[in-house]
Amino acid sequence: MWKFLKRTFQIMVLLFVAGFLHYTLPQHDIVRITNTYNRLTTVGTENAWAYASPDTGTAESSTTRDIRFIDATYADGSVIVYRNEDTGWVWPPYFKYDSSNLQAEAGNLKSTEAAPKWVSVTHYGWRFPFLSIYPNAVSVKEVAGPDVQIIPYVNIVVLIALAFGLFMLRRMWLQFLERVIEPAAAEVGETWDGVEAQAGAAAGRAKGVFGRIGAWLGTWRKPKR
Amino acid sequence: MIAIIRLAVFGFMAMTVVYVLVSIYSGSVRREKLEKKFDAGGVEGDRDEYIKAGMDAYRHGLRHRLIWLVYIIPTVVVAVTVYLVNYQ
Repeated sequence: MWKFLKRTFQIMVLLFVAGFLHYTLPQHDIVRITNTYNRLTTVGTENAWAYASPDTGTAESSTTRDIRFIDATYADGSVIVYRNEDTGWVWPPYFKYDSSNLQAEAGNLKSTEAAPKWVSVTHYGWRFPFLSIYPNAVSVKEVAGPDVQIIPYVNIVVLIALAFGLFMLRRMWLQFLERVIEPAAAEVGETWDGVEAQAGAAAGRAKGVFGRIGAWLGTWRKPKR
Repeated sequence: MIAIIRLAVFGFMAMTVVYVLVSIYSGSVRREKLEKKFDAGGVEGDRDEYIKAGMDAYRHGLRHRLIWLVYIIPTVVVAVTVYLVNYQ
């Protein structure tokens, strides 16, 4: 039972992190832009998290505001709608403030089915029709055709940097345990003559990080008589 | 405009926290290395003196200075992102 709960929790954390990264990291769609327009949009409490925060350039009001949209069509005929809003300076960290220019570029790349211009739209976010959530377009670039492959350099670099950061965090934590916590625990164990605490620490060492913290806490307990 | 100042202030605070943590870690690793080297034998003199000299050399060395990258890299990344997103 305990193992099941632990596994479930781990999977939920993993899904949350993966979803967070999938929402935030840039993606490329090869589409044909069919329309660009502004629409007065009411942002509700259920989808406000997927719109620009009120203090960015394009979002003067937190409830109803004029938002730029870009309609587009994939090569297979299915459609996608992007919003085009400034991101502001905190999150997500795109630091985009050229929404007006992007809208002009997108308008310039509009094309018909008879004479298609294929465009790579860099965007982040998801399209949820049920919640009226749109991915935010970050940049548009004309490409040769609908089958162009785009290598996601930004994602590769960001994911490697994140992995490196986690690795260093783990190294730093282990160094801290080895150089600060374990000597302190050993000292306490010696002065208190806690034979059991020492045994607990030895057992904890085998159990990994949390076991070690537990063992260290154990050294503060009074030995049983 | 306020938002960019806020980013700068909080970003600077966050980078300072990272800088302090990395400095402590890096110094700790170097001290451990010096201790192990001395304990392995073959080094003349007093242990504390040897470690103190080694740590002084470390503090004036390239490795310690490279920790400034903690400030430089995020700033450059933000500047490059702003350029690529808005001026390309």
